[in-house]
Parts: sequence; structure tokens; C-alpha cells
Amino acid sequence: MPESLEEVGALAQKSPDGMRGPHAAEPSRSLGKRIVAISPDDGSAIDLHNPALAALLAWCVPGLGHMYQGRTLKGRLFMGAILGTFLLGMWLGGGRVVYASWKPGDTRWPFVCQAGAGVVALPALVQSMWLQGSAKQPLFALEFMSPPLSPGQFVSRAYAERLTSTDPDIEADFFFDKPPLRQFRSDQVSLWHRRLGRWFEIGTLYTMLAGMLNVLVIYDAWAGPMGGVDGKAGTGEDRSKKLKA
Amino acid sequence: MMNVLSVGAICADALSASLPSGALLLATLADRVPGIFFGLPLVALASLVFAATHHEDPAAIGLATVHWSVWLGGILGIVLAAVLLLGWMS
Repeated sequence: MPESLEEVGALAQKSPDGMRGPHAAEPSRSLGKRIVAISPDDGSAIDLHNPALAALLAWCVPGLGHMYQGRTLKGRLFMGAILGTFLLGMWLGGGRVVYASWKPGDTRWPFVCQAGAGVVALPALVQSMWLQGSAKQPLFALEFMSPPLSPGQFVSRAYAERLTSTDPDIEADFFFDKPPLRQFRSDQVSLWHRRLGRWFEIGTLYTMLAGMLNVLVIYDAWAGPMGGVDGKAGTGEDRSKKLKA
Repeated sequence: MMNVLSVGAICADALSASLPSGALLLATLADRVPGIFFGLPLVALASLVFAATHHEDPAAIGLATVHWSVWLGGILGIVLAAVLLLGWMS
């Protein structure tokens, strides 16, 4: 059993056929209490620290798990690329493309992908849970990431007045007066589509892809690089077979 | 009036002759598929993330990004060409 990261790296570089030692047989191996992965490029050992914690951090903020493991360059790369794309998508979509809604007829499936980007998508979940019931108002200002009003939805009088004064798409006569509440008589998603056009779809696509790609980043933080030791992609099983051969 | 039209046609011919065929192809593509160029950063992003999750060395990540971009762009380009062809045939 090797005692240090240097010994694991040396073991990994000994094999002549590109399979560089027993630690190449699996993506990550336990080194005493430490869990390491082997770099596909130079066969050096990568200390994964606590992989579960790294994966959790990578989900919360893309790249943070890699920074925790000391893989700073990749951490910065992932953080810039994924958060940048998510925020660009939000901007392209007028800040309306990330919301969670599970109402019949308006189930927002793209949010499942967007949630992969981590805490940046969480306000949508908070808003969705906070708005359960008719007399609630969104938690954050400007209805940030709040789900749209559907036709016939009852809202509090205060929320209706707030929407009328802050949202350029909504006018006072969009609500029926049903004391003590007010009933929305339009469809807010349609209003967003009318104003944003194709930007709504483009923004949704950007934010979805950012969330889905972060799943790969989470896996990389948890188990190390997916490439084979010889630089080609391969599973641990493939590598074990090659090693036995 | 005829003179103006013929001068315009000559200018258009000269312009199309001076533009590289690649630029004309891109302009036609942008006209036929609105918003296609918003997909290019996504291909680049996906290639970068794929590459970075398969390598640790920055130089290897750069090379793999180019490799993945060519593959992803090629596959998506073929799909787009097939869709455009089907649309044109129908």
C-alpha cells in the first residue's frame, strides 16, 4: 500500500503500455484515509480530499468543489464558464426564464435542468414554495424568479397592486375584483413570450445547459477526471481489463 | 431608372464575387435559421466542460476543447443540414 501521493504517482507511471499501475484500474482509490484519482495526462495523483463534500460544493457553486480540492485552475474555469452562461441566459431571457412551477398546465420541466447550476437557481424554488396559497407575495423584490400567474389565479390585493406598479406587462384591468382577493384574468407566461419573443427560449436554453453541464463538473469533483490514463476516455472496467491483459 | 437598376445589379454581382463563399454561406444560414449564432457559444461551452472533465493539464484541456468543438459542431451541423434539406424538400 503506497503511503503518499508521490508514491501513487510513481506507481501509476511504471506501467509501459499506458496503464500506469494498479491505481489506474479505477477512477479513484483509497490511500489510507485519503482518496485519490490519477491524472490522465501525466499519471500524477490528485488528492480528492472528501469527494462527497467536494461534489456538494460543486453543486452549490460550480467550481467550488475543485477549489476545495486544490484544483484551482479548473475550479476557476468551471465557475466562469457555467456561472457566466447561466447569468447570460438570465439576462437574455429578461430575468424571467428561471422559475419553478408545478401547477397543472404550467409544469416548468426546464427548471429540473436549471437546478443543476446550484444555489443561483434556488431562489426560484424558494419563491415557488413561498407563493403556495392565494394571499402570499413573492419573497424577493421585483418578483425575482417567481412563477408566473396563471389565468384565474387568485392573489392578494397587495400583490396585485405591486404587480401593476412594477411589471410593465401588467395593467390594473388584468385583475377582477373579488374581495378580499383579486383574480388574474390574463396569462403571464404569454405576456412574457409576447415581450421577449425568441429570447425567452434562448435564455431558457442557456440556463438549462449551464445546469446540465454542472452535473459533469460535480462528477469530476467526486471521482476525478473521466479520461483514461492514456488520454483516451474509458471506464474503470475497461482499464481493469487492459491491466489484466 | 434602367441605368440605376443595372448599376445596382452590377454592384451586387461585384459584391457577391468579392465576398468569400464561406461568408455568403454564413449569411444565408443566419437568414434561414434566426438565432443560430447563439448556439455557437453553447457548443464552445460544452466542448470546454467536456474537455476539462477529461483532463487536468491546461494544454491538454485546450487541445481537447478544439477536438470536442469539431465533433460537436460537425454532428450538429449535419443534423441542421438534414433538417434544412427536409424543409426544402417539403
